[in-house]
Amino acid sequence: MAKQGLKRQQNRMAILLLTPAIATILILTTVPAFTTLSYAFFHWHGFQRGSFAGLNNFYRLFHFPFRDQFLMALRHNLLVFVGIFTVQTSLGIFLAYALFKVRRGQRFHRTIAFFPVIFSLVIVGYTWQIILNPFFGPVNYFFHSIHLDVLAKTWLGETSTALPTLVFINLWRWVGFPTIIFLAGLNAISNDYVEAARIDGASEGQIFRKILFPLLAPSMTIVTILTFIGAFEWFDLPYVLGGSSGGPAGATDTLALMFYRLSFGSVDSIANEIGVGSALGVIIFIIVGLGATFGAKWLRGREVEA
Amino acid sequence: MKKAHRHIRGFVAAMIAVSAIAVPVVAASSAHASVELSFWSWRPEDTAFWTAEAAKFQAATGITVKYTPYVATDYNATLATALTAGKGPDVMLIRAYGGMANLSDAGNFMALTSKDVPMLAKMAPGTLAAAQGYKDKHQFGVPYSTSVLGVLYNPEILAKAGVAANPTSWSSLLSAMDRVKRAGYTALAVGTGYAPGLEQMWGAIAPAFYGGTAFYNDIVAGKKNFNDPAFVASLKAETQLFPYMPAGASGLDYNTQRALFANGKAAFYIGGNYEISYFRSLNPSAPIGWFPAPAATQGGARYVTNWADGAFAINAKTAHKAEALKFLNFIASKPLMQDGADKLGWIPPITGIQSSDPAIVAMQRKIGQMGTPFLTLVGFRYGNPTSSSIMQPGFQKVASGAATVTDLAKSIQDGVASWYDPFKG
Repeated sequence: MAKQGLKRQQNRMAILLLTPAIATILILTTVPAFTTLSYAFFHWHGFQRGSFAGLNNFYRLFHFPFRDQFLMALRHNLLVFVGIFTVQTSLGIFLAYALFKVRRGQRFHRTIAFFPVIFSLVIVGYTWQIILNPFFGPVNYFFHSIHLDVLAKTWLGETSTALPTLVFINLWRWVGFPTIIFLAGLNAISNDYVEAARIDGASEGQIFRKILFPLLAPSMTIVTILTFIGAFEWFDLPYVLGGSSGGPAGATDTLALMFYRLSFGSVDSIANEIGVGSALGVIIFIIVGLGATFGAKWLRGREVEA
Repeated sequence: MKKAHRHIRGFVAAMIAVSAIAVPVVAASSAHASVELSFWSWRPEDTAFWTAEAAKFQAATGITVKYTPYVATDYNATLATALTAGKGPDVMLIRAYGGMANLSDAGNFMALTSKDVPMLAKMAPGTLAAAQGYKDKHQFGVPYSTSVLGVLYNPEILAKAGVAANPTSWSSLLSAMDRVKRAGYTALAVGTGYAPGLEQMWGAIAPAFYGGTAFYNDIVAGKKNFNDPAFVASLKAETQLFPYMPAGASGLDYNTQRALFANGKAAFYIGGNYEISYFRSLNPSAPIGWFPAPAATQGGARYVTNWADGAFAINAKTAHKAEALKFLNFIASKPLMQDGADKLGWIPPITGIQSSDPAIVAMQRKIGQMGTPFLTLVGFRYGNPTSSSIMQPGFQKVASGAATVTDLAKSIQDGVASWYDPFKG
């Protein structure tokens, strides 16, 4: 009897403690998500909701004049994911392994690697805009001074270099994050495996390839899924450096920027399309939701128990 | 005793009477005094001006005004988000014509009459139309300045380059730019990095190529369209200016290109009168001249593109309507309009105000003789995609070689035709 009373009390306490978190999620995530979903099925006249539209907003999103913008933005999101995943993850593993091997001053080096992550993205964006300025930026000044004028480009102004430059800036700021995740993963691997491999005569390269890397799979799952979500919701850096139209000439446009433009209007006019914008929001949600769910399931299936 | 009671009653009655009069007055003035109006705009460069004007307004009324400017390219979205969330400012600068028609049609702005703002009665119908609802035609803003596009130039550089007279034809403008370039100066300060600047430059030079107001009327009526050879020729003309831009023009941001002109590093800046205040803030002694965009051919017609730049409006949901209206009338007063003309380069929409800047005076004079509407801004910003939202990145594509001017014209036509009824038939 007393046991049941205690259990009831514990349940009440659990509900009490969970209520603020659940309420926050409901108010800030669930309700807006369902509201956006509902918006996608109505006609909109500016900011005024009109009659039920069925799937018309989705139809319009996949037809002229929005289809080309959508496909271009989607392609950019994919390129960003591939770019960030390959370069940032590889570099993150490399840095984590280097930090793992460094015995003296590991804490100091770890702090240095993680340092850019704590900077505000807006500050990082504007700082890089100055660094890469074609007229007075130090990067082009450096290339001119060593007579490599061919590399003194307008990095953020040319359609061919703008997106890779943004990926590079993102990498500079964010590489510390996967590094720390991978370092934590390496530290969690039992030293017994490494010692046993050493006794068997394995080289450092073999130990990394055959033991450490496979056992890093759980960390890889986390980094991959977070990179995927981040790449398909990429908004802040392109917005800071290319504006809401993803300049120059849409070269840095992403799905999130397009959603923002459609919902709230662009630089010249607030001739917005809340219905089509909401339809795009639903599509982004589906891409991220399905990608993250199936990606995580597949990656977890490949993990090895440490 | 009775007398004493009468005295007390009389005293109490007098006190009540005095309080009945004094309390509302004191309360009203103290209510005004404690009110802070929020005031938003897209012009950070005008902060000093509005801070000074707000101080004058506070001294006269006791009402505080907090000026908050946002980056021009983000302003529409920022304001739309805030108003939709019910957190907009009390008073705000709004875009003209279709720029904010969605917001006005959604009832975000307080409808105004000449009873509310007497200055409205002194403005021309064409000017007032810039701040009227697309559907209901209610007046929702007070236009403050006519914007004018043309060719701003540095007389000292032109003199050094041996350009004796202001160019009057397209070929003479290009020849002048060649001479400037040969003399070792950057000819044109405008680059391709700032997309809205490309549309504004086109807005200045284009009417001479497509035929000014007659073409404007035809295209708005659906009798002509954006694939018209005359329109394509106007786009082509802009591309002929690309070789005169600074090196690295694709990476040139708005402030840098303005700084190049203001600091005497470039000879020409093709744009609007609203740039002059920024030029002066960077370099108060900057030598600045102005002439209307040249004719397409020698002796051809010349045009001065103009439009109402924007308007001041009151949030329909403001908790301080009386104070906001008081501030709006303060803005729409002759002394403030004169200050705006002198310090910000405004061309006020009422007669009797003339700028102290000779370049502005020259513009003001030419509007009546050569004025024509800004085609993409006045006519085609009421639906999505706007002609501007296609033209701006479109010019960047043309500059990078990824598209031709014919492609650009077609994409504008196809985009606008998706919502503009006269193009649908």
